[in-house]
Amino acid sequence: MRGSTAEQRFREIVPPLLDDAYSLAKWLSQSPTDAEDIVQDAALRALQALSTVSVDRPKPWFLAIVRNAAMTFMARNRRKTLAYAGDMTDLDALDPREGDDAAPNPEQALIALEDGERLRKAIADLPPPFLETLVMRDINGLTYREIAEATETAIGTVMSRLARARAMLAKSLRTES
Amino acid sequence: MSDRDRDERLLRLNAALDGELDAIGSRAFEREMRDDPALAAEYQRLAALRDAVRRHAPREEAPQTLAARIAAMTAPAPAEAPPAPAPTVIPLRRRARLDRSALAMAASFAVLGFALGAGLMALRTPAGSGALADHLVSDFVRAAIAGQPFDVASSDRHTVKPWLATRTTVSGDIADLAPQGFPLVGGRVTIVDRVPAPTLVYRHNEHLVAVTELPIEKAARGGAGGIETIDGYHVARWADAALAYVAVSDMDEKALSAFVEAFRRAASPTGEPARP
Repeated sequence: MRGSTAEQRFREIVPPLLDDAYSLAKWLSQSPTDAEDIVQDAALRALQALSTVSVDRPKPWFLAIVRNAAMTFMARNRRKTLAYAGDMTDLDALDPREGDDAAPNPEQALIALEDGERLRKAIADLPPPFLETLVMRDINGLTYREIAEATETAIGTVMSRLARARAMLAKSLRTES
Repeated sequence: MSDRDRDERLLRLNAALDGELDAIGSRAFEREMRDDPALAAEYQRLAALRDAVRRHAPREEAPQTLAARIAAMTAPAPAEAPPAPAPTVIPLRRRARLDRSALAMAASFAVLGFALGAGLMALRTPAGSGALADHLVSDFVRAAIAGQPFDVASSDRHTVKPWLATRTTVSGDIADLAPQGFPLVGGRVTIVDRVPAPTLVYRHNEHLVAVTELPIEKAARGGAGGIETIDGYHVARWADAALAYVAVSDMDEKALSAFVEAFRRAASPTGEPARP
């Protein structure tokens, strides 16, 4: 908004996005208490940034800050790292076997879907790049373009990560039954 | 099928599921699904997975302690908006700080009394005909001078609707009026007779219009249709089969009429304006 201070814009932008920010941070850190620290750190960064930048799309903007704050937090506290250790080139290629959805028993697959605990564990076990893409899409409700903005990746990469994330989920629900 | 075709198919399936295909692409995809039961079955499985994720891993509410800490990062600042009748504003929700200085506190209370007196009176008395409109105008002014015209800022109907649905008891469809020049900017909750009611906020050039949705019986005593003027703000009321609507705006009467017309057309499945 023109002519408003950083603090005013902060109050317009951040409080409505707290639930989204907290949910994302909790999935990335896998800890409710860490998630609170991450969101608080992200809010401070946002407040500082608002004195110099103007924000067109608050949601991907703030969630990008939350994501980066989560990465810093995890690195600093030597928790499970959010950086992907493997080769980034093979990361974004689709694995045709994962797309092969020949569930031997569709009913069993449906039952597995209704096992909330198992589903949540399967989501938590996704490698970080897939986890953040899935959470931003299905929990935060960002569009592909907004996810690309928030994760600083190309839209094509977002698409293949999301497709793979869902294929991995389906596969792990099938195999662990 | 080559790996490349398979990749392509999987990406399109996901894009269709996420509403990311354009109009032509999604019609083509629907035709393909009709002709290809395997594709349709894959889509169903993917949709079931997506729905299960939303059901079992929903967005969580941030703890109140966290919300309070975030709110405490910024003290309520003097309003810079020129139309404010008062130099300081206390946003009503969440943002009230307990640790502000006694001086600021005293000033704030003075302002609260000055700026919100009418609104609070309307809250305390049962909303009669005029009281409802007065109350909603006060609410509009309060939101505008607080620099917080909405609690959820989004132009995406599919973001605003679920946000409102979890906080209020009535929830109509949210019309997309951007093509008519009234883009959605967000939503907020308005308290009417101590019950939360959804309010949609649309923008038109520099002006805002806030549409509050109410159960028919609550608005029935609110008077008939048409546009009235309260303290320089224009108020329009109308109803459809399900809900009554009260729109408060700082835009001129003609623009508000155009907005109401567009809103009613969008809300009515036949494309005809609903009854007055």
